[in-house]
Amino acid sequence: MGYEWDFAVVFRNSDLLLLGLVNTLKVTGLALLFGVPLGLLLALLRLYGNRAVRLPVGFVIEFLRTTPPIAQLFWFFFAMPILIGVEIDPFRASVLTFSLQSSAFFAEVFRGGIQSIDSGQWEAAKAIGMNRNQTLGRIILPQAVKRMIPAFLERAIELMKTTTLVSTISYADLLYQANSIAQSTYRTIEVFTVAAAMYFVVILACSIAVRRLEIRLARSGETIVN
Amino acid sequence: MKEVLRIEGLHKSFAELEVLKGIDLSVDKGETVVLLGASGSGKSTLLRCVNFMEIPTSGRIHLEGKAIGSARNGRIAYGERELTQLRSRVGMVFQHFNLFPHMTALENVMEGPRTVLKCDASECRRRGEKYLDKVGLGWKADAYPAQLSGGQQQRIAIARALAMEPEIMLFDEATSALDPELVGEVLETMKELAEEGMTMLIVTHELGFAYTVADKVLFLSEGSILEQGTPAEVLTYPRQDATKNFLRGHNMFRLPEPQID
Repeated sequence: MGYEWDFAVVFRNSDLLLLGLVNTLKVTGLALLFGVPLGLLLALLRLYGNRAVRLPVGFVIEFLRTTPPIAQLFWFFFAMPILIGVEIDPFRASVLTFSLQSSAFFAEVFRGGIQSIDSGQWEAAKAIGMNRNQTLGRIILPQAVKRMIPAFLERAIELMKTTTLVSTISYADLLYQANSIAQSTYRTIEVFTVAAAMYFVVILACSIAVRRLEIRLARSGETIVN
Repeated sequence: MKEVLRIEGLHKSFAELEVLKGIDLSVDKGETVVLLGASGSGKSTLLRCVNFMEIPTSGRIHLEGKAIGSARNGRIAYGERELTQLRSRVGMVFQHFNLFPHMTALENVMEGPRTVLKCDASECRRRGEKYLDKVGLGWKADAYPAQLSGGQQQRIAIARALAMEPEIMLFDEATSALDPELVGEVLETMKELAEEGMTMLIVTHELGFAYTVADKVLFLSEGSILEQGTPAEVLTYPRQDATKNFLRGHNMFRLPEPQID
């Protein structure tokens, strides 16, 4: 064997990798920023909309969940300019794709969380004269969101890893940068080892932060009765 | 006496099943009315129709002399806003407490005044503290429901309903989910309310409580009021066989009175 590891070239290009990481975080962050509220909206429409709304919303959610994200990405990036004449750069296509794609998953997380809340909570809120929006906003969602945190984190991690697909439309994310450094330096193993480590560190840090948050929220515990 | 609640010809069906078959009932201000009956007799459904947790199939409900809903083409239509507004004037206490687990005791009690009545912060706080004190749990203001006993949770649920300063309070088997040793504290709280002149409509299986506290007892059987009167009339000298059987089942085993010599 006797492979000679040489990380020096990787560190010489560390600014490129860091730029890639920033770009990855930008796409992931924006996809979360748009995807979570959109997911909530889709979940509420699917749960409480009238039939004319529920059906199409359900279809959109299932469509986004069942088609490969890379197909969606190509569709927005390549098909939009041809079909409706809108030029879209790789960054915007990426944010658009992953916002929509993750909103479908978040919609299902929200739906599950909302439906997991005991119907007695709805009744109690109704009995003191709260309307549906007040009940959702003050009673149901605060409890549901707490229960959804692990599923949210899972989706967010999955999202960050899935955004590596944006390198296929030449958006300079971490994986794209790693690939180009590898091609110019021939140090593929080292470059991808460092890139993987960067994903690992960021995701682990997020996991730990969320775990801390969970523990803090758990202190205002839930009733054992009910 | 001023009439707070009047129910006329109330029917309620769930699909094919007719649960209430024409109930007429009037509750005066300050009166405590207890509903008794076997399970399935419709007493909980009757209670839940009063604050429109269930929408009556037919019949009319009047609160403070005003009919709820508007008649249209021979049917009564209920607006969602009207019902929400009505529910803020009718307090309800549930078998399973249903406190909001993410809020402290005080926040639970303040929630109605804050969100529904839109009281300012100091008024919310005043009401929250006042009604927590009323149920004897001012010292638990900052506790979360999970940290409280079942009896304490139920008393906070009572305070939460009282904080809306309702015209009538409904109790739906408020002590049925409690361990036996915790039943007393909740009944005590309810008795105090009755003595202070709160108008109350109570579904319960606690016959001793009904005997002591009720002004009027109603016995429901198969969706109709079979018998009604003072506690002594219904509980001590029932006329109907169904009432007698029901009471016999409840009084089969009793502790002997202590011997005094």
